[in-house]
Amino acid sequence: MPTETLDLQRAVEQFLFREARLMDTNDYKGWLELWADEGMYWIPCNADDADPHHNVAIVYENRGQIEDRVWRLSGLHAHAQRPKSRLTRVVSNVEVEAGADGTVVAHSAFVLCEIRKNEAHFWAGRNMHVLERDGDDFRIVLKKVMLTNNDTVMPNMTFIV
Amino acid sequence: MLTQQVEALCRPDDWAAQFIRGDRVNSEIYTSPAIFEREMQKIFYATWLYLAHESEIPKPGDFVSRTIGRQPVIIVRGDDGVCRAVMNRCRHRGALICEVDRGNQSHFRCFYHGWTYDNTGTLVHIPKDDAYPDDFDRESLGLTPLPQLDSYRGFIFGTVNPNAVPLRDHLGLAAAKFDYMIDASPTGELLLDAGTHKTSFRGNWKFVGMDGYHPPVVHQSAFEIFRRNAAKENPNVDSAVAQAPRKTMNDSPLAVSRDLLHGHAMLDVIPHRISERDFHLEATRHMPGGKEYIEAMYAAYGPERGGDLIAIGGDPHLGVWPNLQMINQHVRMVVPVAVDRTDVYLFPARLGGVTDEFNDIRLRKHEEFYGPAGFGQPDDTEIFERNTDGLQAVVNPWIDISRGRNREYVDRDGSIVGKIPDEVPQRAQMREWARQMSAS
Repeated sequence: MPTETLDLQRAVEQFLFREARLMDTNDYKGWLELWADEGMYWIPCNADDADPHHNVAIVYENRGQIEDRVWRLSGLHAHAQRPKSRLTRVVSNVEVEAGADGTVVAHSAFVLCEIRKNEAHFWAGRNMHVLERDGDDFRIVLKKVMLTNNDTVMPNMTFIV
Repeated sequence: MLTQQVEALCRPDDWAAQFIRGDRVNSEIYTSPAIFEREMQKIFYATWLYLAHESEIPKPGDFVSRTIGRQPVIIVRGDDGVCRAVMNRCRHRGALICEVDRGNQSHFRCFYHGWTYDNTGTLVHIPKDDAYPDDFDRESLGLTPLPQLDSYRGFIFGTVNPNAVPLRDHLGLAAAKFDYMIDASPTGELLLDAGTHKTSFRGNWKFVGMDGYHPPVVHQSAFEIFRRNAAKENPNVDSAVAQAPRKTMNDSPLAVSRDLLHGHAMLDVIPHRISERDFHLEATRHMPGGKEYIEAMYAAYGPERGGDLIAIGGDPHLGVWPNLQMINQHVRMVVPVAVDRTDVYLFPARLGGVTDEFNDIRLRKHEEFYGPAGFGQPDDTEIFERNTDGLQAVVNPWIDISRGRNREYVDRDGSIVGKIPDEVPQRAQMREWARQMSAS
């Protein structure tokens, strides 16, 4: 692979790993800073390709709604996150390709262990990030999380995935 | 106000009386596996259950798989256009003949030995069928129909009890309340075709009730978000209308909790919402697709009733005993799995005859509050789980559901009425629970 491609791959991976750490440590403010102003956060429900314009999603939020989410989680009355989930996730299988308008599209997979109230939940899925360049860094324009279990019954998943 | 005496939750000689003292209930009814087993027999195998909505299976061959208690059942529209419910069990050795949630099939094939049924339930193929005795009657070996199936305005109900009272008698006063949700559509069509939120919590199915007392506490964070956003949204809304002082539901004499008998209950805020019709119309007018919606509703129902229906917002806030709720934009099915495990399926309803953008907003509003990652419902289920854990302390096992007993009254239609935060719906649920669990 050309050096330039490897550098991009490495930079995207480092961004995804940083995002994973911020989510794992419930650092909501730090995570919010990764988002572009026009960012969309999408977790489809029932099927990975369920169009949010005819189908319910688990999350389909613009930047303002993401801010609401973070604001709520940062307060004292998000009972479903009191106590907070303790999280460890591994992000891997990162593939990077060029997107439209100079963006970068990153495909990745994750496995996530959630511990809350002495119960362990195992989550997994695939991500698609559309990233815009911001100097040497990136901002998230679209994050789509395709949960492996998005068609099954699920407990509260109010932590950041 | 009428002042007829409201009856006790159960009679002294009922089986259930051991768990009910006045308006106190022994929490064992939420934690005992033996009582859960009795509920399967006395409630889930005795009375009508909500199974599906016709809009989930509009075309021949469409089906959904559901459960009645623990019994797997398929609700399927046959190639003849008729909607049926059949037990999801091969007539040969009893394996499931359908292993998926929903789909469209001309046939159901059992992948044990290959017996195959068409989508009307008729047995159409037995591999190597030359080896059966003369008295083998394949005509009688179609899929077993559910003993009773009926529907009300698109809502399909069924029961394994051939002697259950007619559906309409079971629904009683609740039937007319369905209309508030259905008639939010100018064409009278609910479309439960937007997918399903399948949620689950560690707790008893009876926790999922109508409760007007908890929102300010459990949903404080969601209400704060609504307040924050109310200022930001709809900059064009007539500020005089938007900022006029509004009574809270708790204070309004036009908002009540209502025991509709037979275990059904609602938080009846309909007169309250109608009293604020101008506010709701103004807010609706500024929603994407809102003007078109108002026009369509006026054309369908006239400005008077159309305006009322818009104000009501399609929300009967109705619980239909024992497993159906109709709340805001969604239809909810409660699935008891074990004494301490409940699945709750949420089906957001799109409206027929409105613009896509208007329906999209309904979906977004639904998932934002009720979805598994939402701002509201996960806090409810968190509290249900805390309830499950708290109820393990049985030194004093009694819980109290007497709130508002001093001010409830019997309305003209026989329903029992209290204020929104009163425990009228809890007593409605418990009264029917006691009756069914005590039945011989």
